Amino acid sequence: MIIMGPVEWLFDFWQFLEFYSDSVINATVRHLTLSFGAILAGIFVAVPLGILIANRAKLARVFLSITSIVQTIPTLAFLALVLPLLGVGVLPALVVLFLYSLLPILRNTYTGIRNIDAAYLEAGLGMGMNSRQLLFMVKLPLALPVIIAGIRLSTVYIISWATLSALIGAGGLGDLILTGIQTYDLNFILAGTIPTAVLALLAGSLINRLELSLTPRGLRTQG
Amino acid sequence: MVKFSHVTRKYGNTVAVKDLNLKIAGNEFVVLIGPSGCGKTTTLKMVNRLINPTSGTIEVMGKNIQDLNPVTLRREIGYVIQQVGLFPNMTIAENIGVVPHLLGWDKNKSRKRAAALLTMVGMDPETYMDRYPTELSGGQQQRIGVLRALAADPPLILMDEPFGALDPITRETLQDEFKRLQTELHKTIIFVTHDIDEALKLADRIVIMRAGEVVQDATPEELLRHPADDFVAAFLGKDRLSNQELQVAQVMLENPVKAYPEMGMAEGLALMKRKKVDTVLITDHGGRFLGSVSVDEVNAKHRSFNTLGEIVDQDTPAIEKTAAAKDAFNRINEEKLPYLPVIDEKGLLVGIVTRNNMVNALASVVWGDHNGSS
Amino acid sequence: MEKIILLTLEHLGLSTIGVLFGIAVGLPLGIMITRRRKLAGLVVGTTEMLQTIPSLAMLALLMMWLGLGNSTLIIALFLYSLLPIVRNTYTGLVNVDTGLIEAGRGMGMTRLQVLRLVQLPLALPVILAGIRVALITAIGVATIGTLIGAGGLGELIWLGMKNIETSKGVNMLFSGAIPAALLAIACELGLERLEKALTPRGLRVSPESMKN
Repeated sequence: MIIMGPVEWLFDFWQFLEFYSDSVINATVRHLTLSFGAILAGIFVAVPLGILIANRAKLARVFLSITSIVQTIPTLAFLALVLPLLGVGVLPALVVLFLYSLLPILRNTYTGIRNIDAAYLEAGLGMGMNSRQLLFMVKLPLALPVIIAGIRLSTVYIISWATLSALIGAGGLGDLILTGIQTYDLNFILAGTIPTAVLALLAGSLINRLELSLTPRGLRTQG
Repeated sequence: MVKFSHVTRKYGNTVAVKDLNLKIAGNEFVVLIGPSGCGKTTTLKMVNRLINPTSGTIEVMGKNIQDLNPVTLRREIGYVIQQVGLFPNMTIAENIGVVPHLLGWDKNKSRKRAAALLTMVGMDPETYMDRYPTELSGGQQQRIGVLRALAADPPLILMDEPFGALDPITRETLQDEFKRLQTELHKTIIFVTHDIDEALKLADRIVIMRAGEVVQDATPEELLRHPADDFVAAFLGKDRLSNQELQVAQVMLENPVKAYPEMGMAEGLALMKRKKVDTVLITDHGGRFLGSVSVDEVNAKHRSFNTLGEIVDQDTPAIEKTAAAKDAFNRINEEKLPYLPVIDEKGLLVGIVTRNNMVNALASVVWGDHNGSS
Repeated sequence: MEKIILLTLEHLGLSTIGVLFGIAVGLPLGIMITRRRKLAGLVVGTTEMLQTIPSLAMLALLMMWLGLGNSTLIIALFLYSLLPIVRNTYTGLVNVDTGLIEAGRGMGMTRLQVLRLVQLPLALPVILAGIRVALITAIGVATIGTLIGAGGLGELIWLGMKNIETSKGVNMLFSGAIPAALLAIACELGLERLEKALTPRGLRVSPESMKN
């Protein structure tokens, strides 16, 4: 790295960004596509699955331990393991990120529903709700804050982990960082790191807001 | 209205309810009571099929409930539970409107119904309709719990220790209120409790259960006069049997003048002046009776102490509310006490007996006036 | 085969060293901030921020500053292990029933004795859970250490991925990825078992794990 003053460096970085603006924007778009594709798929699978296993203790143990084992596998190793099956590129990255997104969402949906005070369920049943009404009028509204917290956690992590998909040629902001490592160029590294951090922060606070507006008012006072 | 025929419910090898035969007529207020594990709650929950009997049949309004869809059945029976179970994500109006909603009423109609019900228990609909359960006190929440069961005007209401989680004072208020409601509404009510006082107060008929079987099925009056066996007698309590005339709780004044120990001397003096008393009773924030402070004490010590708590007389005699009124009278006379604070079994201050209201209470017993009774 | 075993051991070694540094700093830090609650938000917030930096970026940034090699990787692992250890130490200690702490004080224990005899034993399972999360994270991050010239199983994976078209490449990839995955899973399960074993018997209703 060439030693220079902060002002000069900022100027230099700015020029760099101007020159590479297209690649940064493309990488950001790709990064978002990968992350949100994985998260959306994760939500569509994990929320219904969490609802399903909430009443079935054995099944719950099986699914929760499978997903938590999946979670421990190092990302690079996981990406590598799906390579021979799915080849390089976007698909294997999406699959791996999707699998990683499952655990927090699944676990929070499950615990969110499990932790609902039995009194509410008894009251609902006793008043003549059928199981669908109990789910939509009682269980889901009460578990919603916990489920969304799981989605937020998942999103923030997935945006961070998606940088690694560059290693299997899926692109995204990790590409810029990788180039920076290979060419020993701080500009490239920062051009990948800063947007990733901003995306993660933005997504986190956006979901926080969503959570607040979706939490029924009667639950907010409880925190 | 409800008829149990040879109903048995087993859990593995344990028998929760054993060959139960019970008929409950329309408009009857029946209390199921007994120690925990006696099968009273199981019996109750079999009526709306939250629990299904192992054998035997239950009829509700002439129909065998095994032939009915449990969901439809439950919508026609009111249900109140101890933990209240108001849905925290719904407003008060929405909570009251759950069963109407399930039955497909339109929103306007169910809001009107909610407003009418709130008015019935003296809660202003304007104020409360759109609040959330967490914004209400425990007593108010259970009022709503009861109203919720009444919403679709079911002829039959099941209540599972509805007032069990409330503090004693709120509990009594709600009991009184509910008793009044019942005289207007004429519902058939099956009510589970383990509190014999509550049973005696509310029931038309008391069914005492033990180990899944009915031990005695009688009116409160019969029960007190002729307990079926020693178990029932023990359950009713010795005091009540030997001493049926009057209890302290029936002659005491509720809401004595009281203060917390942190209250300042000047404030305490002002309080006594305002309430025209010469003594104030001190309780902690949980309502536990700590002692008393008299106006003379405050006057003598206000220079050297700051709060009432520092000069409280911890040896102030007190009497339990279940004690005989006669005892209170004797103590006031013999120990020359101006008054006696009344506490419950947990040491919480619930009232006061003074010389004056003792005389009034005795007068009402002698001349049949009803002043001063609870 | 021998090489795989050596690389696996190296991988575990690097991860463990990073986490040990994390314990050496994070545990006292976690204890300290229970005494200074105002600092707690700041410390946990800072470590949380560190955690959200993508591992690839963290390694790249540290490489620019410290150069290539194992020590750079270890510093990254250390930084990542701070959050789970600090946070779990803190919450573990704070969630000890105040009644018990009062009881300890009432029996005449000093603050240090309360910490040693009451708080730490009760918080131990939670702290261990934090260490487990830290170690799993470290094993994961260490696989990409090869990009900044550090050792471990990442090397095999990376080389294998580069030569994925050849059967030798595929073999190499598997010989790195499978041990790495197994190592992580083994550590997870092993430490989980240890947590259970070290939980005081009276507390065996184990709190919902603090992992995320």
